[in-house]
Amino acid sequence: MFKYELIDEEATTVISFEGDLDIDATELMEEEIAPKLYDCSNIKIDFSKVQFVDSSGIGLLITLIHHLRERGIRVRIFHVSDEVRIVFEMLQLPDIMGADVLPEFEHS
Amino acid sequence: MPETKSQSFDESQSAPMHKALQREIQLARNIQMKLLNGEKPELPTGEVSGISIPARLIGGDYFDFYPLGDGRIRILIGDVMGKGIPAAMLMILTRGAFRSAAGAAQGPGQTLTMMNDAIYKDLRKLGSFVTIFCADWEPATGTFVYANAGHSMPIVVRSDVGTVTLPVLKGVMIGGLPGQIYKEKTSHIQRDDLVFLYTDGIVEAQNAQGEMFKLDRLSGILVEQSRQTAEAIQNAVVEKVNEFTKGLPQKDDITMVILKADGDQRGV
Repeated sequence: MFKYELIDEEATTVISFEGDLDIDATELMEEEIAPKLYDCSNIKIDFSKVQFVDSSGIGLLITLIHHLRERGIRVRIFHVSDEVRIVFEMLQLPDIMGADVLPEFEHS
Repeated sequence: MPETKSQSFDESQSAPMHKALQREIQLARNIQMKLLNGEKPELPTGEVSGISIPARLIGGDYFDFYPLGDGRIRILIGDVMGKGIPAAMLMILTRGAFRSAAGAAQGPGQTLTMMNDAIYKDLRKLGSFVTIFCADWEPATGTFVYANAGHSMPIVVRSDVGTVTLPVLKGVMIGGLPGQIYKEKTSHIQRDDLVFLYTDGIVEAQNAQGEMFKLDRLSGILVEQSRQTAEAIQNAVVEKVNEFTKGLPQKDDITMVILKADGDQRGV
């Protein structure tokens, strides 16, 4: 089951994701998480507790990042696990989402 | 009262509506199955087989064979983001793009470039994407030219060696970025090689304990079955996945394409 925790640290909002990021996370991501983040100006996403992400989850993440950046919100993803890193790299997410969103990755 | 009237009208309509919806989903499934499971191309040497098993009534995975008329065949396997009816609609969009591009493109790289050019805007508008692996295979010579748009690399099983790795080729998924030029790599498929293309629904298939099927298990089955016909290998993989999941409904569609260069009927 996919969960999240939101912590405000001064000017930065840290959101920690936990669980499998797949199609079951759709409603939570679109109806709850995204609207909560639209009021922030600087967001760090902690991915350390996400061990699995499939194509639907990647789609949710890309859409979230896209909508946040469209609103001028700075967003970065940290602590990506090795399993998830393989998927991110295979899909060249640093190229798609922007290298500044994934500072732990090498930009190709 | 008008509200009560309106409510009773809705209730009286819900059963027929539900039935009509069920019928339309079934019709959509039939269309998809017919498009997916068309005629297998006849090859002078070698054989191909493919199957797609949707997680729900209809799915977003796609595979296709396009004979190029000169002894080569263009093969595609793709996974549309999402599941069910929305993914199925995008799968049809992808199929149209492939069929249009396949006849005009010089190779698999250009095929992906043309597909991305054709459907990038639609996919972005819909917040979706498609991962695709595309290859031109010439069974008579074994030449295997491939291009990749964010999809898993195929598994190759070589008789008496086990699994061998094709040089990895990366590429942005279709709908990821505009104006992408997809590179190609060339490899050689030997006469008794088995080439297995797949979507991640196989390796991510789960049992009741939440364990995944995983790549190692799949590779083991392919090594064990590599001397069988393409269709027998396909059936064996489906059977093993079913044994593993014990009928548990899956989150993702399962699709595979099998290429056998020799295409003979030897048993193990």
